[in-house]
Amino acid sequence: MPVAERSVSLFRPAALVLVLAVFAAALSAESLYARIGTGSLVQALVRPGAMGEVVVHFSWLPRLLVSWLCGAALGLSGVLMQQVLRNPLASPTTLGVSAGAHLALVVATLAVPGLAGFGREAVALAGSGVAAVLVFSLAWNKGLAPLAVVLAGMVVSLYFGALGATLVLFNQNYLAGLFIWGAGSLAQQDWDVVVHLAPLVAASGLGAALMVRPLALLDLDEEGARSLGVPLVGLRLAALALAVVLAAAVVSAVGVVGFIGLAAPALATLAGARTFAARLVWGPLIGAALLWLTDQLVQLLAGLYGDLVPTGALTALFGTPLLLWLLPRLQRDVRPPRMVAPVLEPRLERPGLALGQVAVVLCVLLLPALLLSHLAGGWSLDLSGDFLDWRWPRVAAALAAGGLLAMAGTVTQRVTGNPMASPEVLGLTSGAALALIVVVMALPGADRATEIAAGAAGAALTTFGLLALTRRAAFAPDSILLAGIALGALFDALVVAVTASGDPRAMTLLAWLAGSTARVGEAEAVTGLVALAVLGAAAVPFSRWLDLLPLGAATAGAVGVDVKLARLLLLLLTAVMTATATLIVGPLTFVGLLAPHLARLAGFSRALPHLIAAAFIGALVMVGADVLGRTLIYPRQIPTGLLATLIGAPYLLWRIRRL
Amino acid sequence: MTDALFSRRALMAGAAALLAGRAMAAPGPRVVAFDWGIVETLLGLGVVPAGVAEGDGYAEWVREPALPPGIPDLGLRVEPNMEAVARLKPDLIVITPQLASFEPMLARIAPTLSLAIFDEDGDVWTRARQVALALASATGREDAGARLLAQADAALEAARPKVAPLTARPLYLASFVDARHVRVYGRGSLFDAVLTRLGIANAFTGPTSFWGFATFGLEHLAAAKDAALLVFEPVPPEARATLAHGPLWQRLPMVEAGRIGLLPPVWSFGGLVSAMRFARVLADHAAASAVSGAGRGDARG
Repeated sequence: MPVAERSVSLFRPAALVLVLAVFAAALSAESLYARIGTGSLVQALVRPGAMGEVVVHFSWLPRLLVSWLCGAALGLSGVLMQQVLRNPLASPTTLGVSAGAHLALVVATLAVPGLAGFGREAVALAGSGVAAVLVFSLAWNKGLAPLAVVLAGMVVSLYFGALGATLVLFNQNYLAGLFIWGAGSLAQQDWDVVVHLAPLVAASGLGAALMVRPLALLDLDEEGARSLGVPLVGLRLAALALAVVLAAAVVSAVGVVGFIGLAAPALATLAGARTFAARLVWGPLIGAALLWLTDQLVQLLAGLYGDLVPTGALTALFGTPLLLWLLPRLQRDVRPPRMVAPVLEPRLERPGLALGQVAVVLCVLLLPALLLSHLAGGWSLDLSGDFLDWRWPRVAAALAAGGLLAMAGTVTQRVTGNPMASPEVLGLTSGAALALIVVVMALPGADRATEIAAGAAGAALTTFGLLALTRRAAFAPDSILLAGIALGALFDALVVAVTASGDPRAMTLLAWLAGSTARVGEAEAVTGLVALAVLGAAAVPFSRWLDLLPLGAATAGAVGVDVKLARLLLLLLTAVMTATATLIVGPLTFVGLLAPHLARLAGFSRALPHLIAAAFIGALVMVGADVLGRTLIYPRQIPTGLLATLIGAPYLLWRIRRL
Repeated sequence: MTDALFSRRALMAGAAALLAGRAMAAPGPRVVAFDWGIVETLLGLGVVPAGVAEGDGYAEWVREPALPPGIPDLGLRVEPNMEAVARLKPDLIVITPQLASFEPMLARIAPTLSLAIFDEDGDVWTRARQVALALASATGREDAGARLLAQADAALEAARPKVAPLTARPLYLASFVDARHVRVYGRGSLFDAVLTRLGIANAFTGPTSFWGFATFGLEHLAAAKDAALLVFEPVPPEARATLAHGPLWQRLPMVEAGRIGLLPPVWSFGGLVSAMRFARVLADHAAASAVSGAGRGDARG
């Protein structure tokens, strides 16, 4: 029996690689034939003469090798990352590598245009490095514990991402090239990338091989690994550093190709690579084969469609259905550790009093939100009330969206027991945004009502799909998070594909995606406030469930909670809250991640006070972001969602560090 | 106290800007516009807008007709600031369909006119003329509209003999997006419309986006063996290295044969004025290469 199993576990990953490679090779042969006919490949390689041979020599062949190298690098990086972080959702982008590289490129392009000409790769690499070092130092106190690393990585990504997005919004004409970079294009014009990447990938593979034994021991729990003499911190640092170097090298060379690093290790596991050593071999091979196939398809599509189809975007387009299909299977094979933060939190003696204080601050903040002006001459309070008509809808929308997202985040975090969960992990913000992208691109001149109707339909469909997909797993949190992340990746892929095309309409989209209150009308503002009141009241009866569910399904069931029903109802409540907020201010829901944490850190530990406090804090952050976004660089406006991230992320990082 | 002082100062600044604007244009309605194609057409009609979006970018990317200094900024083109628009108390607001979601708000400030130079179907040149006429009639300057149309026709007529050397072979028009990708203008672009009217064949006949361009890797330029290639400034810094010593670039047929050149910036999403500017830079280029006999040196600069 063990023998049979062993042969199966060798056969299936190899078969997967073979199938992918055969298709990819067929497509490659076809495109090679289209370029040099039956001419000699050797001739093209050694002494290219005819134009077709020149293209093969300087573009086709290096691109082929780059797809192998990048796929293998990302697969290897993903395997290392998932092993160290004990999380099947970890991928090379988890540690802020892409966001750091993006921000560095944006800043360099805008501030020192000459620099990008000398070494775009170096700039991107430096940005990745800064992000990774920041993440490591934030999680250092916790001995680079998986949860601390993942949380720090996520917040650093969000923060750098928000900074980059703000700069892009205000300088889009200068950054057209970065949109292609962000979508990951493997197009080559010489052998530079191959020459740089090949030794790096080989050396990294060797480095990983040297660490196989200690890393494999991480499959045990932390205590077990430590008792066997594994130097945990040093090992984690070495493996993560290797993973970061690989991811950063790929990102700086060809741009963001995200999905391979997540999908290749998952596929290896599913195909039967049960041990870490096996995953270390098959992960990179599957990654290489997957990216090879994707990139050949991209080139085929580009020929038919006539426009740039970015490879990075298409990997997510293929990968999402794959991941959704794998979802039920993945549950059996991988058991991620519970991700509840084992933190001793402060507990408020009198939550009522503290709630009152937050409410007072919120009321005081409404004054500048409605009256503050910042014109060429300076700051002033506009007491005439002439501009109230323009300001109250956006303030009301910010308040309502902040409150709704914060409550949605609180419920999501309590139901999933996952502190990384924010409303957008449910994927329905992505569903709404996808619908809106289609409207913007297909119906030029669509009005706000059409946009909102489409967004609502998108959110409803996504919620329905999510529930259908996870029903069999009794709406288990891990299934929901995975499905949500897959949908989010699909949506990101579409956004980057649209922006990479250089279409000016994509810029309108970027403003909305950044969480803008600028286009909120009076009707939406009132709707938002009513929704906040009604849905807030609707959440109150659920507070017992919310107290019990974080203790785990078994415990909650033992005291008489119908866990499946509770999850379903709470999910629906969250869906309605998130969809309402998204339709009003766009899909940037960072406040939904931030506010529940801030409320918890402030000592609101029971569900009901936690929910209310989070709602107040969420409203506070969004209203504050709105007034700053409206006035700071008047007449330009910084989208409220982006500014909320820019204000909130550093604070959250600071709190994480002190924990 | 400070409030009063401040608002008075703001008022005076506004009045000064107003006077500056009025000094250049005959009295007419106060118009605000956000899309640069609309702004350039307004200026071409002699109407100085009371406010525009991203005026600094206009000066860099559209170039002409130059925007007089001191025109208030109204925020981003994709997200104009309603308050800033309302403060100007305009008589007319002109938008493109891309801002449709702001239309109800803008309509509360002033009558709002939506015009599109680019659309799913039809000819950009024809629509650019229609937009010019619509703007002329909305601002009560029908005579200026007729004049602008005549100017545009005359500009093409004047350019036609000068660009005659370029009609010998198909021509690619491209912008570098980064070191490895170019945006090539084809069917449905403003430039293609002008090329057609000048009797020059566009070397790129493939499918294009809504705005008439396609983006792809450099290697696709190898397709047309006898074509020439003109690249628009600005060339991004990282692409300058490609122009100087990109291995694939140097082996492209048009580069090896020296049939390339660099054109000054022209706004590809513009209207009649940008079309005239394009015809002129094309004529200037043809004249310059006739004198120097080579475009290759230009492109390396």
